[in-house]
Amino acid sequence: MKKKLILALAMLFSFGLVIAQDDEGKKQKKDKPIRPMFESGILIDGQTSVIPIKNTLEMHIQHRFGVIKDNGASDFFGIYAPSANTRMGLNYSLRNNLMIGYGITRKNMYNDFQVKWKFLQQTRSGSMPVNLAVYGNMAIDGRNKSVYGDDYTFANRLSYFGQVIVGRKFNGWFSMELNASYTHYNAVKSDEVNVKGYEHDIIGVGGHMRFKFSPQSSILIMYTAPIFIEGMAENQEVMNTWYSNLGIAYEVATSTHAFQIFVTTANGIIPQDIYMYNTSKWTETEIRFGFNITRLWNF
Amino acid sequence: MKSLKKITTVLIVALLGFAFMAFVFPQEQKKGGSWDIPAKYKKMENTYAGDKSLLKIGKMMYSKHCKSCHGSSGMGDGSKAAQLETFAGDFTSEEFKTQVDGILYFKSIIGRDEMPNFEKKISDDEDQWAVIMYIKTLD
Repeated sequence: MKKKLILALAMLFSFGLVIAQDDEGKKQKKDKPIRPMFESGILIDGQTSVIPIKNTLEMHIQHRFGVIKDNGASDFFGIYAPSANTRMGLNYSLRNNLMIGYGITRKNMYNDFQVKWKFLQQTRSGSMPVNLAVYGNMAIDGRNKSVYGDDYTFANRLSYFGQVIVGRKFNGWFSMELNASYTHYNAVKSDEVNVKGYEHDIIGVGGHMRFKFSPQSSILIMYTAPIFIEGMAENQEVMNTWYSNLGIAYEVATSTHAFQIFVTTANGIIPQDIYMYNTSKWTETEIRFGFNITRLWNF
Repeated sequence: MKSLKKITTVLIVALLGFAFMAFVFPQEQKKGGSWDIPAKYKKMENTYAGDKSLLKIGKMMYSKHCKSCHGSSGMGDGSKAAQLETFAGDFTSEEFKTQVDGILYFKSIIGRDEMPNFEKKISDDEDQWAVIMYIKTLD
């Protein structure tokens, strides 16, 4: 399965490159970029290649409730569970293809600083068949020092996430993205260094799909999978339990808002936390309700 | 104690007064006054006129950006219309349809007062004209 995913990703990348080379040298009139393939820069738990136009302030409110099946009706299927997680963030588009942002998440009080750059833009004529974007963030774990034990340094709080996103809007009702990512945590728990402990790094792949069935409404699907490569392992006995993350959403978009209501697997919101520390398995229906609200202001 | 009673009575009378005023003042929205449209917009032409494929795009854009105030059929009866001080207009009327494209562009994309500016929300000129082409088809 993982090999197939990597192969599919590689094919999509190479397709884009081949087209780009074919067009090289041809003098073309300025082509228009395709209309946005998604309504928001986020899709359930993932980042899309979408960046609002220059000088747009984008506010995100992201919320994840508790696991639906844990207490059933007694906490209204997780909606009133104490384990809920929230992130509030602001992004600003410096250019039509460059965005910076900052957000705070309840879990671990992560303070994340992010940047997204879309360096290839799918065009309406098809001269560029895909969107290609890179996304990166650095998060600071904002919990008390005591969490880190005696040998505390500020660097222990830091984690990093880098991702390449390739996407294509196939037509008005169907869009798809694939992504590949790398997550790094500066400090992880370890029973015995290099023998038994958590890994600092993990590779991941994922995908997003949108089925737009009316001018304002869509069904969204998101899937991400950590890929553990044994040859890269630091520890002889790895303590991580990496699980994939699946989410299905209903989205309504208006002129300045996008609302996504969904079921998803992970409790985390920032991507490195989801890839590294998701402890819920969708195969065992450990799923939860959640929502994302995106609000745009143009300046 | 006596003064407290007086204050309470005055407050009750004032509240009742406000409540009755709601029935006295007309609740109708005002009609928008005449537009002061710069000459360059009056002369503006739709460079995409004749491209019928844009009607589908126009409908999508209209649903996302305009429908909540102007209504599904352009009668000015969208879900947010009642909150407006000014009537959102009837796109099906003859009066509306006699306007030239440039004037419709200014009114739809540049806007004024309660009608927001859409130059950034609908940033592409093709999409802007697509909306105008679509609203002209409403009847």
